[in-house]
Amino acid sequence: MNEAGKGQRAEGKRYRQLTPEILWAGCMVLFSFFAITISAHAMSGREVYGKVHEVRSKMLDRKTEVTMVLFDKGGGKRTRTLVEYGKKAEPEAYKVLVVFKSPPDLKDVGFLMFAHTFADRDLWAYFPEYKRVRRIPTTSQDDSFFGSDFTYDDFGGPPNLDDYKFSILKEESFDGRACYVVEVTPKIRRKYTRYIVWVAKDLWVHLKIDYYQDKEIYRTGVFRNIKIIEGIPTPLFLTVENRKTGHRTELTIESIKYHTHFTDDLFTQRSLERAGK
Amino acid sequence: MLRGDPRDCPDDMRTCDDGKQKVCPYGKIVICMKKQLVTVILLLFSSSACLAGDFLSISGRLDLLGVVALESDSIMEDPSFTGRLKIDTPPSKWSLHSWLEGGWDGSVKLPAKDHSLLKLYDEVYQSNTPWLEFKEFYLSFSAKDLELRAGVQRYSWGRLDEYPINDLLNPWDYTRFILRTLEDRKIGAPSLSANLNKDNWSLDAVWIPRFVPYRLAMPDERWSGVPGISALLHIPNAEVIPDEPNLPSRTFNNGVFGLRVRHAGEIEWALNFFHGYDPRPVVKTTSLVINPQPGKVLVDAGYVPDFHKMTSIGMDAAAVKGDCSLRAETAYSFNRWFNTRQELWGYPPSPGPGVFPLNPNEHKSDTLDYGVAADYRIIEDVLLTMQAQQTVVIHRPDTLYVRQFETLLWANLKVFWMNQKVETNLNLAYNPEHGDGMAKANAWYIFTDSWKAGLMMVVFTGPPQSMFGRFSKNDQVEAELVYSW
Repeated sequence: MNEAGKGQRAEGKRYRQLTPEILWAGCMVLFSFFAITISAHAMSGREVYGKVHEVRSKMLDRKTEVTMVLFDKGGGKRTRTLVEYGKKAEPEAYKVLVVFKSPPDLKDVGFLMFAHTFADRDLWAYFPEYKRVRRIPTTSQDDSFFGSDFTYDDFGGPPNLDDYKFSILKEESFDGRACYVVEVTPKIRRKYTRYIVWVAKDLWVHLKIDYYQDKEIYRTGVFRNIKIIEGIPTPLFLTVENRKTGHRTELTIESIKYHTHFTDDLFTQRSLERAGK
Repeated sequence: MLRGDPRDCPDDMRTCDDGKQKVCPYGKIVICMKKQLVTVILLLFSSSACLAGDFLSISGRLDLLGVVALESDSIMEDPSFTGRLKIDTPPSKWSLHSWLEGGWDGSVKLPAKDHSLLKLYDEVYQSNTPWLEFKEFYLSFSAKDLELRAGVQRYSWGRLDEYPINDLLNPWDYTRFILRTLEDRKIGAPSLSANLNKDNWSLDAVWIPRFVPYRLAMPDERWSGVPGISALLHIPNAEVIPDEPNLPSRTFNNGVFGLRVRHAGEIEWALNFFHGYDPRPVVKTTSLVINPQPGKVLVDAGYVPDFHKMTSIGMDAAAVKGDCSLRAETAYSFNRWFNTRQELWGYPPSPGPGVFPLNPNEHKSDTLDYGVAADYRIIEDVLLTMQAQQTVVIHRPDTLYVRQFETLLWANLKVFWMNQKVETNLNLAYNPEHGDGMAKANAWYIFTDSWKAGLMMVVFTGPPQSMFGRFSKNDQVEAELVYSW
């Protein structure tokens, strides 16, 4: 075959690729791309989290009774029950008091959190064995909450949005609900260097969170059995699994009451020492 | 009250008939049902879980402890068994709290001194087993900012671990030295207390109307910790009789009063005032008496616990700095008493039968105490606590055993493993002035929500009169099994 023949065939090939169908498909792809881009700009990651923040702020005034079951990799399990009291605390952000009811070793152990702003928190813990209230450094907030796969931070209110960067990675459904999948990155390095979060589009609550330490998933939290309670979407069953150790914690909300409007007396060191009594 | 001393009764009245009580001619009741009673109470402990309901909150704990002494010439200890029962009425304006403990104390030398089933508030030597004790038993009245309590109470003032400088209200039970936790060492004192809270301020006032003494192990028991009498214990068939002290009269004038003002903030701080008897043991020499009897030699070791009034004014504070939780305490105490070096007490070098008057061995001085502690979370589940404290004896004569500056350094490394299913602790204490110290390591394994087991090893070193060195023959390994509900 001569060079001219080769060139004609090559021209023919090029021509065949640009059929009207292919051009139409290309336009659709371009349109979709622009549509997604326009949509992403309409709802940024920060805006998604603004909605989540709004819902979580509504949850602050509450009393919750919780059962936590800790599962070992080997199948052993331990059960903890606790009561959590929360309060929106203008001009502060919020206050939280958590008191263990069982097991016997942890009975009346408690911790108190004062969030002056959504970023600035003070933590205290009380251990009846020592009869003393101890201040806990705020850096401990990502530590395990009494052996469970939850952290102290999980029992606090919503975070300060300015401390994180948000970007929407994609949209997909999880547990049958349409979600935004948002990457959340703390601006200051914490134990978890980033989070991939599935946020339900219709309720603005978390459905799933992957907690990353650098490139590896450290733990995964899944939020299920979402009910609307007193107008607030509330996941009543939470599972957090440590992907490194295989340890898992299931948290069931046995009862929850919102709009409790507790007085400030409940959120004092004295109250912490008296197990909220 | 269940009390009576069979030794006050004639011989024929000392023996019990199948658990029945007898009354001796002196009118004292001989309690012969102790073991049965304790058995019933322990059964109550274990069945109390069924009694818990909406009206009462009941929890409890059963604890079996075995000790292996590592020194062959150490005083031995039998296994111990302890039951604890806590009962609370539901929170309301008026509420009742009870914390009852009881069991069998293996550190008591048998036959046990038979004086009371319930631990008393007017005796230093209470080596009774089986035993019962109300660690706490009080009625509370709560109003908006005010809480009043009346009954047997324990208080925790100050911030330091192990030896808080301002924590003086409850005397300690030294019958296991400091192997018990700080709160377990404290003897509940019948007292009145008030707590007033307003915003970030809190005021605590405590009045213990009747003086309560500390408790010591009998001189020939494992944790007596009086080194000078070790030579006496080697006298064949020696029976060391403790001198029960003449306690200060139990009048209001000899009561204890404490006041604490706290402020919560970025730095939390408190001012403390204490006036009453010093809860830290000091002994007064009398005469060494060695009295041979048919089949035994009665020995009066020649010292008796002594009690002195003191006043202390102190301050404590806590703050968080970065990854550290910092704590500090200081106090100036007026009129504290100390013992002289034991070689100056005047014990004869080779004791034989007779009466040997001993030299005065106490000296009074003001002291200044201060200390700092830091809790540092190295990584998650690994917590290091370091503490340094010092006592300055203001007017110290050369005869005192304590130095002008007495330092105590503590370190504790707590590590949780397997999501807190296993807890290990390494605890070190060191006094550089006398070169004495203690190393304690323990590990707990949590089987279920109710069962856990632990192993502990403790080693002491130092000269005989030093804080830890006096127990240098008490190195031991402990095994403990706990059931709680």
